Amino acid sequence: MLTPDERERYDRQILIEQIGPEGQEKLKRSRVVIAGAGGLGSPIAIYLTAAGVGMIRLIDHDRVSLSNLNRQILHWEEDIGKKKVQSAATKLRNLNPGIKIEAIDETITEANVSHLLEGCDAIVDAMDNLSTRYILNRCAIEKNIPFFHGAIRGFEGRAMTILPGKTACLRCMYRGSVPEEKFPVIGVTPAVIGCIQATEVIKYLLGIGQLLTNRLLMYDGLEALFTEFAVNRNPECDHCGQIK
Amino acid sequence: MPVKVHIHLTHRRFTDGKEVVEAEGQTVGECLNHLIQQFPGMEKAIFAKKDKLHNIVEVYLNHASAHPNELAKPVKDGDEIHLILMLAGG
Ligand SMILES: [Zn+2]
Repeated sequence: MLTPDERERYDRQILIEQIGPEGQEKLKRSRVVIAGAGGLGSPIAIYLTAAGVGMIRLIDHDRVSLSNLNRQILHWEEDIGKKKVQSAATKLRNLNPGIKIEAIDETITEANVSHLLEGCDAIVDAMDNLSTRYILNRCAIEKNIPFFHGAIRGFEGRAMTILPGKTACLRCMYRGSVPEEKFPVIGVTPAVIGCIQATEVIKYLLGIGQLLTNRLLMYDGLEALFTEFAVNRNPECDHCGQIK
Repeated sequence: MPVKVHIHLTHRRFTDGKEVVEAEGQTVGECLNHLIQQFPGMEKAIFAKKDKLHNIVEVYLNHASAHPNELAKPVKDGDEIHLILMLAGG
């Protein structure tokens, strides 16, 4: 049940026909992992916290630096040198004390990923590199937990939602390793993509709308253009190909 | 058989700024070879070696992923190819 305070806090979204009080209670019961507390992780965490997702587990191993502040809006000048998950948890708890925020200061590896993703309803990709994304993708498929992909570079971004064993996964599109780079980015790009990912998570948790499944949504901020491409499961995929 | 090849922003410096280049061929690979004949700078931009695209280059045919074996995919008149670069940042 929602408390009177919760009814007031979420009043405007409870007014949305597809949400209502039942939807709000579903969000309250939901547990979401956000892997990364940087450019994508900031808007994702802020909007899921504001929306009333009951438990958010935020994972990041990094500390805040000055060069993060053009895009990682959970972190402020006063946070430089602090652990990102601590800086983020402070803001998120101040925004919405009703949400349980788990701040996990760890590097995601093959060895710990299963433990880190335990007991959640959705996993959000807010990573800054492909190798960790594939670790998350594989574990999400093994655990049969939906995985919400997002990535950015410069003014460009993309998002796709993965329902394990049902829709194309990140690895279905794998072509071989790609060299890592110090990628260029301006804050508005992860803001757009992170908000699309957060929207997908909310829709999934509530069972409403059409998800970005088998649909890779591309965003080009310079051209102000969204383009959609169909992606299908690859039977040769080394992560999901064996799943019937 | 003219096919429209959409060039990624990053690659337009190799195509005189053109966003769309017409190319001919029976397959995606033939069309990309024809693209390279017109704009030789595109070769290094999309191919790691002969008949092997860079891992970062994604090919979409008529707004659907052409992966895997994208170069062998047949094309017909009026088809559209998008050359897109994978993104890894966050
Ligand atoms: Zn797959």
